[in-house]
Amino acid sequence: MSGISLQGVSKRFGQVRALDDVSLEVAPGELVSLLGPSGCGKTTLLRCVAGLERPDAGVVQIAGRDLTHVPTRERPIGMVFQAYALFPNMTVRQNIAFPLEVRRQPGEQVRSRVDELLELVHLADQADRYPNQISGGQQQRAALGRALAPHPDVLLLDEPLSALDALVRTRLRDEIRRIQQAVKTTAIYVTHDQSEAMAIADRVVVMNHGRVEQIGDPPQLYETPTTPFSAAFVGSRNALRLPVREGRLRLGEAFDVAAPAGAGATAVVFFRPEDVELTTDGSGHPATVDVRIFLGSVTRLHLVVAVDGETARIHADLPSRRAMALGPGSAVAIRVDPAHMSAFGSES
Amino acid sequence: MAATTAPAGRSSGVGGLPGRRAGPALLFAGLTFYLLLPMLAVFLYSVATVWRSQLLPDGYTLEHWISGLGDERLVFALLRSLGLATAVTVLDIVVVVPAIYWARVRNPRIRTFTELSAVIPFALPFVVIAFGIDRLAGDFVPWLQSTPWILWLGHSAIAFPFLYWAVDGAMAAAGIERLSEAAETCGARPRQIIREVVIPNITPGLVAGGILVWATSFGDFALAQILTGPNFETVPIWSADALLQTTGKGNELAVITFVTFIILFALSAAIVYWNRGHTLRLLPGAGAMERTEG
Repeated sequence: MSGISLQGVSKRFGQVRALDDVSLEVAPGELVSLLGPSGCGKTTLLRCVAGLERPDAGVVQIAGRDLTHVPTRERPIGMVFQAYALFPNMTVRQNIAFPLEVRRQPGEQVRSRVDELLELVHLADQADRYPNQISGGQQQRAALGRALAPHPDVLLLDEPLSALDALVRTRLRDEIRRIQQAVKTTAIYVTHDQSEAMAIADRVVVMNHGRVEQIGDPPQLYETPTTPFSAAFVGSRNALRLPVREGRLRLGEAFDVAAPAGAGATAVVFFRPEDVELTTDGSGHPATVDVRIFLGSVTRLHLVVAVDGETARIHADLPSRRAMALGPGSAVAIRVDPAHMSAFGSES
Repeated sequence: MAATTAPAGRSSGVGGLPGRRAGPALLFAGLTFYLLLPMLAVFLYSVATVWRSQLLPDGYTLEHWISGLGDERLVFALLRSLGLATAVTVLDIVVVVPAIYWARVRNPRIRTFTELSAVIPFALPFVVIAFGIDRLAGDFVPWLQSTPWILWLGHSAIAFPFLYWAVDGAMAAAGIERLSEAAETCGARPRQIIREVVIPNITPGLVAGGILVWATSFGDFALAQILTGPNFETVPIWSADALLQTTGKGNELAVITFVTFIILFALSAAIVYWNRGHTLRLLPGAGAMERTEG
């Protein structure tokens, strides 16, 4: 197993700075997910690791070896692409055998390795089909088999599930994780889907505008975002801009938290819908139910609250059985535990 | 309910099928007749004794075929044309395919130049191009003038756009940039990528463009007349000469035209047969997706 080390990687496309001094360490056997919105630089970073893009500055190392200027074909990587990129003229078996055949491995060794991978990705019965004769999920599993064929030190996955429907995504996501752990390969997984990143990764790297916003394991990222972008991008969060008074941020009796150090006249507080508590003992800040959305076991309420003479909207998630008693126009009172809140100054 | 309504629907559909099929079948038959009619006329003329004012020839004979295919001069012209067209096709494939691949995958900035050069032969008359080539050769490589080599290079230059646009379109349809990157991550070298990934995935375009190049070279008169003339007599040069003969070689001209058609038709049919099913696999979205699993 080999780790990946990226130091100060920068890349420009014309006037656009796609990567801005990105540094990242991936431990051997670890699966790290690069998460961020479109255009944040996550795919460019992955392509720099693959050698498909050459960074303008910085160093890319795999297993301690500087590969910054080494061509893609000589890097110890396997890559899975968003659009599968299987070779249409080859069967599943031939696709998986391709990386071994270009390395001129003996025929018997190729056959045995391909059979092993067909079993691993559950495609033994589709081995002699062409890519257009199998489903999208099967194509992506074939692509995974092809990427793993030469025993790569590093597996790179570029939004591998984004072309698939929801049910297949979940199933294949779990399968990718199972396979990655079975072969004990270091992996980088690019996605813009936060739930996918949380579910599959040991650590998640949140990226924005070509920079790393935060690196952490999924619970850490979910519970304690360190930047406003992380707070807003990861999970569903309420964001309220409140005036700072005497170093505190208050919403009536709903909450009272310390303003962040260096905050100006206003600051933004973030809290999750599931942390909004509807009180029944008369305490809390008054709110009115505007919309009720049934989501299964949970129902999301859109609440309207008064903030300094203006109105703001807050989302609250309640167990559906409890929320059924409430409807548009119902008057409620809310409270939020300050322990579950994050506050950032306006300038952050 | 579904079980009872579905067969009813199918039964009414079957009843309507002959009518629905007749239209396209008639259209196809009409189109085939329209396209083959000229060749049929050429064939009839090649076996006609005399063909004056009737719909069909006055009489039939194989004399023109025997004399035409026994004419050494004509046979050599045919062999020269076949050899030249094949050599031009090979040269264009060897030069153009790697160039388009390079322009698409490695250096998209040169695409402007390659596309512009692929338009020039369409914009300028072949006669002008021929005189230009002759003048250029006279200035820089006079020993090439009037040789088959200059015709080979000239034909390659005027015919390559047919291959260029067909192959470029095929590369775009196959997503060659993506496949090439995938092959690179598999450890393949550029030569392996071109041989094992690019060429097999652009076969339909390569074949279509190759046939056009072959046919362009085989049928060219302007360049052949200006660059080599009788020094390297090709079928079009022989044909022009035959038309000028007072002895009337019209029927033999029909023989050679028909032979040329048969060669091209056989070549196209063989390629279509060889490629059967292949095109469906290569075109994105083509072919039935058998979704056995999600």
